[in-house]
Amino acid sequence: MFSEESVVRDVAQDIDIDLEAALNPAEAEGTFRDTRECAALALIGGQGALLLSPPTPRPTKKG
Amino acid sequence: MSQSGLPPLTGAVRDLAHEVVSALRGGGHLAGSTALADDELGLAAVRVLGADVLLPATLAGYSLSPERVAAFRTATLAFPAAPGAAPVTAWSHWGMRRALRTLSGPDEDPALPDTGEPGASWLHSLPWQRFTHQLAVLGALALPGLPSEVATTAALRPVDLARGFVRAVRRRDWLQAAGAARWLALLDGVPDTLGLDTGLDFVLLMSDDDPRVALQAHAARHIRDERLLDEGLRA
Repeated sequence: MFSEESVVRDVAQDIDIDLEAALNPAEAEGTFRDTRECAALALIGGQGALLLSPPTPRPTKKG
Repeated sequence: MSQSGLPPLTGAVRDLAHEVVSALRGGGHLAGSTALADDELGLAAVRVLGADVLLPATLAGYSLSPERVAAFRTATLAFPAAPGAAPVTAWSHWGMRRALRTLSGPDEDPALPDTGEPGASWLHSLPWQRFTHQLAVLGALALPGLPSEVATTAALRPVDLARGFVRAVRRRDWLQAAGAARWLALLDGVPDTLGLDTGLDFVLLMSDDDPRVALQAHAARHIRDERLLDEGLRA
Protein backbone atom coordinates (compact mmCIF):
# COMPACT_ATOMS: atom_id res chain seq x y z
CA MET A 1 0.00 0.00 0.00
CA PHE A 2 1.08 3.58 -0.42
CA SER A 3 0.30 6.90 1.16
CA GLU A 4 -1.98 8.67 -1.25
CA GLU A 5 -0.77 12.10 -0.25
CA SER A 6 2.89 11.24 -0.61
CA VAL A 7 2.40 9.51 -3.94
CA VAL A 8 0.49 12.44 -5.37
CA ARG A 9 3.10 14.91 -4.18
CA ASP A 10 6.06 12.85 -5.34
CA VAL A 11 4.60 12.08 -8.73
CA ALA A 12 3.56 15.63 -9.37
CA GLN A 13 6.98 17.00 -8.42
CA ASP A 14 9.41 14.40 -9.61
CA ILE A 15 8.15 12.76 -12.72
CA ASP A 16 10.27 13.66 -15.70
CA ILE A 17 8.18 12.05 -18.38
CA ASP A 18 6.64 14.25 -21.01
CA LEU A 19 3.17 13.24 -20.11
CA GLU A 20 1.52 16.06 -21.99
CA ALA A 21 3.00 14.78 -25.24
CA ALA A 22 1.55 11.34 -24.52
CA LEU A 23 -1.84 12.79 -23.67
CA ASN A 24 -1.99 15.15 -26.62
CA PRO A 25 -0.08 13.36 -29.37
CA ALA A 26 0.51 14.87 -32.77
CA GLU A 27 -0.85 12.89 -35.67
CA ALA A 28 1.46 10.03 -36.54
CA GLU A 29 3.41 10.23 -39.73
CA GLY A 30 1.47 8.34 -42.33
CA THR A 31 2.22 6.72 -45.62
CA PHE A 32 -0.56 6.40 -48.12
CA ARG A 33 -0.97 2.96 -49.61
CA ASP A 34 0.01 2.27 -53.14
CA THR A 35 -2.54 1.04 -55.63
CA ARG A 36 -1.64 -2.65 -55.33
CA GLU A 37 -2.09 -2.62 -51.54
CA CYS A 38 -5.35 -0.75 -51.83
CA ALA A 39 -6.64 -3.35 -54.24
CA ALA A 40 -5.77 -6.10 -51.76
CA LEU A 41 -7.46 -4.18 -48.99
CA ALA A 42 -10.54 -3.74 -51.13
CA LEU A 43 -10.70 -7.49 -51.68
CA ILE A 44 -10.44 -8.13 -47.93
CA GLY A 45 -12.76 -5.30 -47.06
CA GLY A 46 -15.83 -6.59 -48.86
CA GLN A 47 -18.42 -3.86 -48.56
CA GLY A 48 -15.68 -1.39 -47.72
CA ALA A 49 -14.27 -1.70 -51.18
CA LEU A 50 -15.79 1.54 -52.37
CA LEU A 51 -14.19 3.74 -49.74
CA LEU A 52 -10.99 1.79 -49.24
CA SER A 53 -10.06 1.52 -52.89
CA PRO A 54 -7.85 4.11 -54.54
CA PRO A 55 -9.39 6.94 -56.54
CA THR A 56 -10.93 5.82 -59.78
CA PRO A 57 -8.62 6.51 -62.74
CA ARG A 58 -10.09 9.10 -65.07
CA PRO A 59 -9.70 8.92 -68.84
CA THR A 60 -7.29 11.44 -70.24
CA LYS A 61 -8.45 13.87 -72.85
CA LYS A 62 -7.34 13.06 -76.34
CA GLY A 63 -6.29 15.58 -78.86
CA MET B 1 7.47 -5.42 -17.02
CA SER B 2 8.48 -2.95 -19.63
CA GLN B 3 8.94 -3.85 -23.25
CA SER B 4 12.44 -3.67 -24.63
CA GLY B 5 13.23 -1.08 -27.22
CA LEU B 6 10.41 1.26 -26.26
CA PRO B 7 10.48 4.41 -24.15
CA PRO B 8 9.53 3.43 -20.57
CA LEU B 9 6.17 5.20 -20.61
CA THR B 10 5.25 3.74 -23.99
CA GLY B 11 6.10 0.27 -22.77
CA ALA B 12 4.15 0.73 -19.54
CA VAL B 13 1.10 1.98 -21.45
CA ARG B 14 1.25 -0.98 -23.82
CA ASP B 15 1.55 -3.42 -20.91
CA LEU B 16 -1.46 -1.85 -19.25
CA ALA B 17 -3.46 -1.83 -22.48
CA HIS B 18 -2.64 -5.52 -22.92
CA GLU B 19 -4.07 -6.22 -19.46
CA VAL B 20 -7.28 -4.38 -20.29
CA VAL B 21 -7.68 -6.21 -23.60
CA SER B 22 -7.11 -9.53 -21.85
CA ALA B 23 -9.81 -8.66 -19.35
CA LEU B 24 -12.24 -7.62 -22.07
CA ARG B 25 -11.63 -10.78 -24.07
CA GLY B 26 -11.24 -13.22 -21.20
CA GLY B 27 -14.07 -12.40 -18.89
CA GLY B 28 -12.52 -9.76 -16.71
CA HIS B 29 -10.88 -11.93 -14.11
CA LEU B 30 -7.30 -11.18 -15.10
CA ALA B 31 -6.94 -7.42 -15.10
CA GLY B 32 -9.87 -6.99 -12.78
CA SER B 33 -8.11 -8.64 -9.90
CA THR B 34 -4.54 -7.50 -10.34
CA ALA B 35 -3.32 -4.30 -8.75
CA LEU B 36 -2.11 -1.42 -10.85
CA ALA B 37 1.51 -0.44 -10.51
CA ASP B 38 1.66 2.37 -7.98
CA ASP B 39 5.06 3.75 -8.93
CA GLU B 40 5.52 6.92 -10.95
CA LEU B 41 5.67 5.15 -14.27
CA GLY B 42 2.69 2.94 -13.51
CA LEU B 43 0.54 5.88 -12.48
CA ALA B 44 1.60 7.88 -15.53
CA ALA B 45 0.61 4.93 -17.71
CA VAL B 46 -2.80 4.91 -16.04
CA ARG B 47 -3.15 8.61 -16.79
CA VAL B 48 -2.28 8.08 -20.46
CA LEU B 49 -4.74 5.23 -20.92
CA GLY B 50 -7.28 7.19 -18.89
CA ALA B 51 -10.77 5.91 -18.30
CA ASP B 52 -10.07 2.90 -20.50
CA VAL B 53 -8.19 1.36 -17.56
CA LEU B 54 -11.62 0.73 -16.05
CA LEU B 55 -13.16 -0.43 -19.33
CA PRO B 56 -13.77 -4.02 -18.18
CA ALA B 57 -16.15 -2.54 -15.61
CA THR B 58 -17.57 0.48 -17.41
CA LEU B 59 -18.13 -1.25 -20.76
CA ALA B 60 -18.45 -4.95 -19.94
CA GLY B 61 -19.74 -4.83 -16.38
CA TYR B 62 -16.97 -6.91 -14.84
CA SER B 63 -15.97 -6.24 -11.26
CA LEU B 64 -12.64 -4.64 -10.44
CA SER B 65 -10.67 -4.98 -7.25
CA PRO B 66 -10.86 -2.04 -4.80
CA GLU B 67 -7.08 -1.76 -5.00
CA ARG B 68 -7.26 -1.26 -8.74
CA VAL B 69 -9.90 1.41 -8.44
CA ALA B 70 -7.90 3.11 -5.65
CA ALA B 71 -4.77 3.23 -7.79
CA PHE B 72 -6.82 4.65 -10.65
CA ARG B 73 -8.08 7.36 -8.29
CA THR B 74 -4.52 8.13 -7.23
CA ALA B 75 -3.48 8.58 -10.86
CA THR B 76 -6.47 10.84 -11.42
CA LEU B 77 -5.43 12.96 -8.47
CA ALA B 78 -1.76 12.96 -9.40
CA PHE B 79 -2.18 14.20 -12.94
CA PRO B 80 -4.92 16.80 -13.19
CA ALA B 81 -5.24 18.85 -16.34
CA ALA B 82 -3.25 22.01 -15.76
CA PRO B 83 -4.87 25.37 -16.49
CA GLY B 84 -4.47 25.99 -20.20
CA ALA B 85 -3.89 22.34 -20.98
CA ALA B 86 -4.87 21.07 -24.41
CA PRO B 87 -8.58 20.24 -24.71
CA VAL B 88 -7.91 16.53 -25.16
CA THR B 89 -5.89 16.53 -21.93
CA ALA B 90 -8.72 18.22 -20.05
CA TRP B 91 -11.29 15.88 -21.55
CA SER B 92 -9.33 12.72 -20.78
CA HIS B 93 -9.12 13.81 -17.16
CA TRP B 94 -12.83 14.53 -17.17
CA GLY B 95 -13.36 11.01 -18.48
CA MET B 96 -11.35 9.57 -15.60
CA ARG B 97 -13.40 11.51 -13.05
CA ARG B 98 -16.63 10.37 -14.67
CA ALA B 99 -15.49 6.75 -14.70
CA LEU B 100 -14.67 6.95 -10.99
CA ARG B 101 -18.07 8.41 -10.28
CA THR B 102 -19.73 5.66 -12.28
CA LEU B 103 -18.01 3.04 -10.17
CA SER B 104 -18.17 4.81 -6.81
CA GLY B 105 -21.78 5.95 -6.78
CA PRO B 106 -23.43 9.33 -6.64
CA ASP B 107 -21.60 10.70 -3.59
CA GLU B 108 -19.09 13.32 -4.64
CA ASP B 109 -15.45 12.62 -3.94
CA PRO B 110 -14.26 15.73 -2.07
CA ALA B 111 -10.83 15.42 -3.63
CA LEU B 112 -12.32 15.26 -7.13
CA PRO B 113 -15.22 17.71 -7.22
CA ASP B 114 -17.42 17.86 -10.28
CA THR B 115 -16.15 20.83 -12.23
CA GLY B 116 -18.31 20.21 -15.27
CA GLU B 117 -17.32 19.48 -18.84
CA PRO B 118 -14.29 21.27 -20.25
CA GLY B 119 -16.13 22.50 -23.34
CA ALA B 120 -15.88 21.25 -26.90
CA SER B 121 -16.03 24.39 -29.00
CA TRP B 122 -12.58 23.67 -30.41
CA LEU B 123 -13.99 20.59 -32.17
CA HIS B 124 -16.75 22.34 -34.07
CA SER B 125 -14.69 24.06 -36.71
CA LEU B 126 -12.00 21.44 -37.23
CA PRO B 127 -11.60 19.99 -40.73
CA TRP B 128 -12.55 16.33 -40.92
CA GLN B 129 -8.95 15.08 -40.79
CA ARG B 130 -8.10 16.92 -37.58
CA PHE B 131 -11.58 16.23 -36.19
CA THR B 132 -10.99 12.50 -36.59
CA HIS B 133 -7.55 12.71 -35.03
CA GLN B 134 -8.82 14.54 -31.96
CA LEU B 135 -11.76 12.19 -31.48
CA ALA B 136 -9.50 9.16 -31.88
CA VAL B 137 -7.26 10.53 -29.11
CA LEU B 138 -10.43 10.77 -27.00
CA GLY B 139 -11.60 7.25 -27.83
CA ALA B 140 -12.02 6.54 -24.11
CA LEU B 141 -15.04 8.87 -24.14
CA ALA B 142 -16.81 6.74 -26.75
CA LEU B 143 -18.98 4.71 -24.44
CA PRO B 144 -22.69 3.92 -24.49
CA GLY B 145 -24.45 5.93 -21.82
CA LEU B 146 -21.70 8.51 -21.45
CA PRO B 147 -23.16 11.76 -22.74
CA SER B 148 -20.78 14.63 -23.28
CA GLU B 149 -20.41 17.62 -25.54
CA VAL B 150 -17.70 15.69 -27.37
CA ALA B 151 -20.12 12.83 -28.04
CA THR B 152 -22.80 15.28 -29.12
CA THR B 153 -20.39 16.89 -31.57
CA ALA B 154 -19.27 13.51 -32.88
CA ALA B 155 -22.89 12.54 -33.51
CA LEU B 156 -23.25 15.54 -35.82
CA ARG B 157 -20.41 14.43 -38.12
CA PRO B 158 -20.53 10.65 -38.70
CA VAL B 159 -19.63 10.97 -42.37
CA ASP B 160 -16.59 13.10 -41.54
CA LEU B 161 -15.52 10.44 -39.06
CA ALA B 162 -16.04 7.72 -41.67
CA ARG B 163 -13.83 9.64 -44.09
CA GLY B 164 -11.27 10.07 -41.32
CA PHE B 165 -11.34 6.34 -40.58
CA VAL B 166 -10.63 5.52 -44.21
CA ARG B 167 -7.88 8.12 -44.34
CA ALA B 168 -6.27 6.68 -41.20
CA VAL B 169 -6.38 3.16 -42.67
CA ARG B 170 -4.80 4.33 -45.89
CA ARG B 171 -2.11 6.18 -43.92
CA ARG B 172 -1.52 3.04 -41.81
CA ASP B 173 -2.28 5.01 -38.67
CA TRP B 174 -3.85 2.02 -36.97
CA LEU B 175 -4.34 3.66 -33.58
CA GLN B 176 -6.23 6.57 -35.10
CA ALA B 177 -8.25 4.19 -37.26
CA ALA B 178 -9.22 2.07 -34.25
CA GLY B 179 -10.14 5.13 -32.18
CA ALA B 180 -12.28 6.50 -35.00
CA ALA B 181 -13.91 3.09 -35.43
CA ARG B 182 -14.86 3.10 -31.76
CA TRP B 183 -16.78 6.35 -32.24
CA LEU B 184 -18.33 5.06 -35.47
CA ALA B 185 -19.53 1.96 -33.62
CA LEU B 186 -21.40 4.26 -31.28
CA LEU B 187 -22.96 6.63 -33.80
CA ASP B 188 -26.00 6.62 -36.03
CA GLY B 189 -25.73 7.73 -39.63
CA VAL B 190 -22.52 5.89 -40.53
CA PRO B 191 -22.54 5.00 -44.26
CA ASP B 192 -23.17 1.28 -44.83
CA THR B 193 -20.58 1.37 -47.60
CA LEU B 194 -17.87 1.94 -45.01
CA GLY B 195 -17.74 -1.75 -44.07
CA LEU B 196 -16.82 -1.00 -40.46
CA ASP B 197 -16.69 -4.63 -39.33
CA THR B 198 -14.30 -5.73 -42.02
CA GLY B 199 -12.36 -2.51 -41.61
CA LEU B 200 -11.89 -3.30 -37.93
CA ASP B 201 -10.71 -6.80 -38.81
CA PHE B 202 -8.20 -5.29 -41.20
CA VAL B 203 -6.92 -2.79 -38.62
CA LEU B 204 -6.42 -5.57 -36.08
CA LEU B 205 -4.67 -7.73 -38.67
CA MET B 206 -2.30 -4.98 -39.76
CA SER B 207 -1.50 -3.40 -36.40
CA ASP B 208 1.03 -6.04 -35.43
CA ASP B 209 -0.65 -6.83 -32.12
CA ASP B 210 -0.28 -3.28 -30.80
CA PRO B 211 -2.28 -3.53 -27.55
CA ARG B 212 -3.46 0.09 -27.71
CA VAL B 213 -4.94 -0.55 -31.14
CA ALA B 214 -6.42 -3.82 -29.90
CA LEU B 215 -8.00 -2.05 -26.94
CA GLN B 216 -9.79 0.48 -29.15
CA ALA B 217 -10.76 -2.16 -31.70
CA HIS B 218 -12.16 -4.57 -29.12
CA ALA B 219 -14.03 -1.74 -27.44
CA ALA B 220 -15.49 -0.84 -30.85
CA ARG B 221 -16.55 -4.43 -31.44
CA HIS B 222 -18.10 -4.67 -28.00
CA ILE B 223 -20.07 -1.46 -28.53
CA ARG B 224 -21.15 -2.56 -32.01
CA ASP B 225 -22.20 -6.03 -30.83
CA GLU B 226 -24.30 -4.51 -28.05
CA ARG B 227 -25.97 -2.12 -30.49
CA LEU B 228 -26.78 -4.90 -32.93
CA LEU B 229 -28.18 -6.97 -30.07
CA ASP B 230 -30.34 -4.08 -28.90
CA GLU B 231 -31.58 -3.44 -32.42
CA GLY B 232 -32.36 -7.13 -32.84
CA LEU B 233 -34.34 -7.20 -29.62
CA ARG B 234 -36.32 -4.12 -30.64
CA ALA B 235 -37.10 -5.50 -34.12
